[in-house]
Amino acid sequence: MNALRVVIAVVSVGAVSVAGIYLAAWVDLLVGRAVAGLEVRPLDALSAPLRWGAATALKTRTTTERPDAETWALAPALLAALAAVGLAAVPLAPGLLAADVANGIVLFGAAMALVVVAVFLQGWSPNSPLPMIGGYRFIAEGLSYEIPLAVVLIAAALPARSLAIAPIVTSQEHLWNIVRQPLGLPLYLMAGLGLAFWGPLALPEGQDLAGGSSLETSGVSRILWRTAQLLVLVAVAAMGAAVFLGGWLGPLFPGAAWMIVKTIILLVPLIATRHFVARVPTERYVVVSWAILIPLSLLDVFIAGIQALVAAR
Amino acid sequence: MHGIAAALAIFFVTLVGFLILRASERHIAPSKSTAPARVPFTGGRAPDTHAWNRYHVRYYPMTLLFLAFDMEMVFMYPWAVVFVDEGLIALIEMFMFIVILLFGILYTWRERALEWA
Amino acid sequence: MGVKAALARLAAGAPARCFAVVGAEADEIAPWLRLDPELVIVDSPRAADVLLVLGQLDDEMVRAAAGVHDALPPPRGVVSWSPGGERPVSWPFTDDVRVDDPAQIPAACRRLRDELLSGRRASSPDILPDIDPAPWRGVGPFGQGGAGMTGGVPYGRPLAARADDRDGLKLDQILVRVGPYLPPFPSGLVLDVKIQGDVIQEVSIPTPAAVAPDLISAGAHSAGAHSLTGERALFNAAVTQPVPVADIEVARARHHLVWLAEALRVSGLEAYGRRVLKLARTVRPEAAEPVDDLSRWLRRNVSLRWGTSGVGMVSASRAAALPGGPVARAAGDGRDARSLDPAYERLGFTPVVLEDGDALARWRVRVDEAQQALALAQRAGESLTTPIGLVEGPCGPIGGERSTSAALVTMLPELLVGMEWGDAVTTVVSLDIDMAEAALPHDAAVASRAS
Repeated sequence: MNALRVVIAVVSVGAVSVAGIYLAAWVDLLVGRAVAGLEVRPLDALSAPLRWGAATALKTRTTTERPDAETWALAPALLAALAAVGLAAVPLAPGLLAADVANGIVLFGAAMALVVVAVFLQGWSPNSPLPMIGGYRFIAEGLSYEIPLAVVLIAAALPARSLAIAPIVTSQEHLWNIVRQPLGLPLYLMAGLGLAFWGPLALPEGQDLAGGSSLETSGVSRILWRTAQLLVLVAVAAMGAAVFLGGWLGPLFPGAAWMIVKTIILLVPLIATRHFVARVPTERYVVVSWAILIPLSLLDVFIAGIQALVAAR
Repeated sequence: MHGIAAALAIFFVTLVGFLILRASERHIAPSKSTAPARVPFTGGRAPDTHAWNRYHVRYYPMTLLFLAFDMEMVFMYPWAVVFVDEGLIALIEMFMFIVILLFGILYTWRERALEWA
Repeated sequence: MGVKAALARLAAGAPARCFAVVGAEADEIAPWLRLDPELVIVDSPRAADVLLVLGQLDDEMVRAAAGVHDALPPPRGVVSWSPGGERPVSWPFTDDVRVDDPAQIPAACRRLRDELLSGRRASSPDILPDIDPAPWRGVGPFGQGGAGMTGGVPYGRPLAARADDRDGLKLDQILVRVGPYLPPFPSGLVLDVKIQGDVIQEVSIPTPAAVAPDLISAGAHSAGAHSLTGERALFNAAVTQPVPVADIEVARARHHLVWLAEALRVSGLEAYGRRVLKLARTVRPEAAEPVDDLSRWLRRNVSLRWGTSGVGMVSASRAAALPGGPVARAAGDGRDARSLDPAYERLGFTPVVLEDGDALARWRVRVDEAQQALALAQRAGESLTTPIGLVEGPCGPIGGERSTSAALVTMLPELLVGMEWGDAVTTVVSLDIDMAEAALPHDAAVASRAS
């Protein structure tokens, strides 16, 4: 019985991954077209990611003079696997949790911390100057978003008195964390953008590096890399929905429906940032992250702590 | 136990799945690598040396600062669980710990050690 | 086989991904290709289906274009367009699809891509010889041989040498051969950049012979005296003959907007850049509101300010050494050839000048000048410029001793040293270097004016 539930949960993680990735690619196209002042044509755009994928898959994979072929092959697979574990740590409905561990926050944090390794390998492996700069750049970026990411999640765990995600969701029965800890969600989303190296925080893959860490990647590998990146965004949105928007809680509809709606509510603005916010310079991002975002995230913990103590009285 | 097993299973299935997909390209678009096609791209000219080098990681002071905060995070995980039971004393203890670390940031920032160019 | 055919059928609906190699006389065509829904201009040859060769290429540029061509993953093809249909003697693209009418470029790319992916057309073969440029010379299991880890030449290429750094450390320094076709930089700009980490330590401009040593011989071909078309022809004509002020000013506004579109793209705002490009295509003095809206949007966008303020400072003394132009005006140097023209005086013209000298100031000067140009064009009516031998072009004065673009290129080595890579790119983009103008020898410019 228990095993069956785990199987269902694992299958749901797979379904959410595929649907989420496709949705992300589609929304990105739609927002891009709208911002560019083109006709949006949502139905026409629905097939565009598939067509791009088909065209890319038919290209051969190029290599460089002396790449580290093994780590280059590993990078997209590792990124996707880490993102999938991150998503598996999120309860998609009451009782529907694939990675049902006592310390869900720690599992998510651990998986996301290793994203730095995957992106670095992608940049470093081709033995080409611009991807290499991108890879090293991502380490600076990663070390800067890592602490706000973990700290705001810990703050959300305080009122629940647990590091498991399900109690964090139920602790929001009366008041969602987005209201209770107003600093939490914005800081989390900023860190999430860094984690997915997307939009304003696409530092390892910026246009100034002509594509950076994925510059030398072609063919199927390119599809896999893009897919894995979008999966990170989906995992970030789903975890954000569970921890800050009350997860499956909501009237009338089943919990899973609420979870899907809330994940989309976070995913769309995350995707859209790419078309509204310019890429941030690496160095200034590091300074601002340390001098402003990290102190703010610590402030968030204190606000959450005092509230939790008052509530416990 | 189910949880950890499921997480590991998801990790390895995704990992292997992606590696298999990557290997599938051999059947769709088999590659034959030639010397000029292997030249790393920087605009059409070939490099003199390998790109790999003893890279000057100029943000190393920040990485040291990160270590301190990373340790603090490790303490925070168990602290979060027992926090409400321990009450005010837990808050004050963590507050003192973090304030000391924040002085570290302040000092690093004042010394402009977070910038490198 | 079935899977491949199905994929090819599905892929036929996608836009063709092109990597653009832009030579002389193509600047009237290249920027607008980004507006076409049939193709996407990509940043990396590894992501491209088609190599798009536009305009005239000199021998050293042909050599680099061949290098780019070979970096495209097969199946790949070449679409080329050149003014007048001329190709240099050393033209290496033997099976290129030649297009005579620039309007046909997108359709040709799309058709070629479909033929390539469906296997109806063979992939274009390598141009450069399949000889490892640096054959295996090391010893030991990984070819690392020699004395110690770094004594040999692992895998045939040497490792980077060490160099001193300002922080007292001695670490590896690598040479990045930038260009001529590295997308964030202007097409044709060739720089040898030495970096340690991500900080630039030395920049030099290699000679053409250094770019293509095996091709440059005594009788080397060069694209020669360019015929001038479109915007360039208009500004050059104004040096010696009266030209409607309205035409000149609309061309200036258009140039600045095209530049802004590219600058936005490099900043990560590709979609917004496309919107600006569309605006540039249709800009008219009677309908200046979209440009005013754009200016307001730019001022409000904090992220753009963040990326450009304080970056790439051009000091007042450096600005004074330039012949003029928006870069100098953004650094407090008010020279503007239009101030000398009585026709502009009658229109109440005063140059746009900002003091800061950073990339942000250059962005603002150009956007303000675009707005001002449209206002001038509207007020100007039928009035004509006065030929005084000097015209304020969009990048700087035309008709003087040397072009502003050439002066900016020679300024780059000093300007970029000490910058982080991303800031260096922001700086180069903000200078708006016109490589055709920089390459144009003064004599050629005069000759083409006389003819």
